[in-house]
Amino acid sequence: MSETQKGFEQGDLQDQRIGKDYKSDLGVTHTHTVTLPGFRTQSGFEFDELELSYQTLGTLSHERDNAILVCHALSGDAHVAGISPKNRRPGWWDYHVGPGKAIDTDKFFVICSNVLGGCSGSTGPGTLNPRTGKPYGMAFPPVTIRDMVAAQARLMDHLGIPRLFAAIGGSMGGMQGLVWAVDYPNRIHCCVPIATCMAHSAMQIAFNEVGRQAIVSDPNWKNGAYEARSRPEHGLAVARMVGHVTYLSEFSMREKFGRALQDEAKAKRTYRAFFPEFFKVESYLHYQGDSFVGRFDPNSYLYITKALDTFDLLDNRLPAEVLKAVKARFFVVSFESDWLYPPAQSRELVKTLKRSNAVVTYLNLDTRYGHDSFLIDNPAFSRAVHNFFDSEYRRLRSQLKKTTQALRL
Amino acid sequence: MYQNLYSQVIQWVPERARVLDLGAGDGEFLERLVREKRVAGEGVELDAVKVTRCIERGLAVHQGDVMDGLDQYGDGAFDYVLLLGTFQELRPSEKLVREALRVSRRLIVSYSNFAHVRVRFQMAFTGRSPVTQALPSPWYRTPNIHFFSILDFEDFCGEMGLREVERACFNARGRVRWLPNLRAEVALCLLEAGPK
Repeated sequence: MSETQKGFEQGDLQDQRIGKDYKSDLGVTHTHTVTLPGFRTQSGFEFDELELSYQTLGTLSHERDNAILVCHALSGDAHVAGISPKNRRPGWWDYHVGPGKAIDTDKFFVICSNVLGGCSGSTGPGTLNPRTGKPYGMAFPPVTIRDMVAAQARLMDHLGIPRLFAAIGGSMGGMQGLVWAVDYPNRIHCCVPIATCMAHSAMQIAFNEVGRQAIVSDPNWKNGAYEARSRPEHGLAVARMVGHVTYLSEFSMREKFGRALQDEAKAKRTYRAFFPEFFKVESYLHYQGDSFVGRFDPNSYLYITKALDTFDLLDNRLPAEVLKAVKARFFVVSFESDWLYPPAQSRELVKTLKRSNAVVTYLNLDTRYGHDSFLIDNPAFSRAVHNFFDSEYRRLRSQLKKTTQALRL
Repeated sequence: MYQNLYSQVIQWVPERARVLDLGAGDGEFLERLVREKRVAGEGVELDAVKVTRCIERGLAVHQGDVMDGLDQYGDGAFDYVLLLGTFQELRPSEKLVREALRVSRRLIVSYSNFAHVRVRFQMAFTGRSPVTQALPSPWYRTPNIHFFSILDFEDFCGEMGLREVERACFNARGRVRWLPNLRAEVALCLLEAGPK
């Protein structure tokens, strides 16, 4: 069994059954919450205050030049690596963030925050609306990827980080990284967008809409004004099931499930009386759905998927105009088997960046596990990211040395 | 032989030029160019493992084939495009040259000379495809798809409207100035668009 296959058996870290013996090199890690005053969304909504949940790992250098912001994807949260003291679960990117790993916490100061609109400690539709004393629900303003990044920028101000060494993330996290490079050109040295795109295609929007429809057609949804004890859990679980199918590949499904049937004892779904055959893949999807419901808010799912669908890096403007001020150096990564964010979208991104004179490195890995390839234990991916950060940090340091020398002269 | 060839390229490329290396491999030569000539260098390479090595060296590199690599860049993005040892492996040659001239004013191309005396002798006396220092693989394992001589390449340049600004030919003993089509194993030339 190859290393990658072993990693896949372990699966991505958020929803898989992780054994008690899983050990993180980081030990127990904590998340914090900060309250920031006053925030205006792109749509013009004013929050009196904004709560952001975040985690930091490693140590900020004296020059404050080693900060890496990790941006999470749709279902992620601030708990990026290490073991959570609450539920003993490892962070969603524990395979790649830690001492000596792709994002080396011995060398870099790593920050990850839950996105605006999320449901893991940051302000979102589940937060109490100070004007009504009830959760915002659908009164929550539409959020965009740009809003999420603007909130992160405020967090960086709070943490005293004038300029990021890097922003990195997969899928929606990659979009955030791109927005950092475009909206804050002077506050970022390099950017690593992984398995992402400049704007969703019709297919990507379509899958998200199926998920949203599953939620809003759940009778418990009640136009978003559901009670904590009667949430539209079934709808959310179905949305997650659809999503999960799109994150896998034909290969990973065949390898993991094939046409195998689930054990009788574990097959406890309701319509079994009519159709006795219960496939392993069905059981897996049910597990994914159920596990997701426990940690995610249905309204957040609506808001965040809408943010994904409406994202457009160029917004109908000319690339040269949008990317004019960009200074970051890019490392774009895609996966050959990813059919949700296919390599063609990454190539389009690379071409657009390059033709606007950005310096871009592009790597398309032949990892066979679909969109999830960046979440699993993936040594080839890990090595490439590690090498990129290593050489870019050396470059940044030598630039810094040159400027200070020039200033002394 | 190849050491001489690479040193010659380094001599031809001016300081701080913008260089695109097509088929950059693990980036060893491009890194040398960056170090010795402080060029703004980028590479294109198909093999993911080699791309990762390039990244380790701090080079900006695009994983893809040569045509895809060229397609990433706007007109005149570079001063020099390097095709070192890759030209004979690529098709279609004409389209490739046109694309390369779109992104760069000048090309530096190296190739194995199929009319070298040893090749001619092997063909003539053994009746089999040649295996030499410059053509090391047997016919069934070679990445080469074009087999051409220095004279062939001259004809090709004429047809493509390429002007040979410089040429340097080498064999195992060093630079070859006299009867290159017979005596040189590898040829290197600096080309630009324009009449001969």
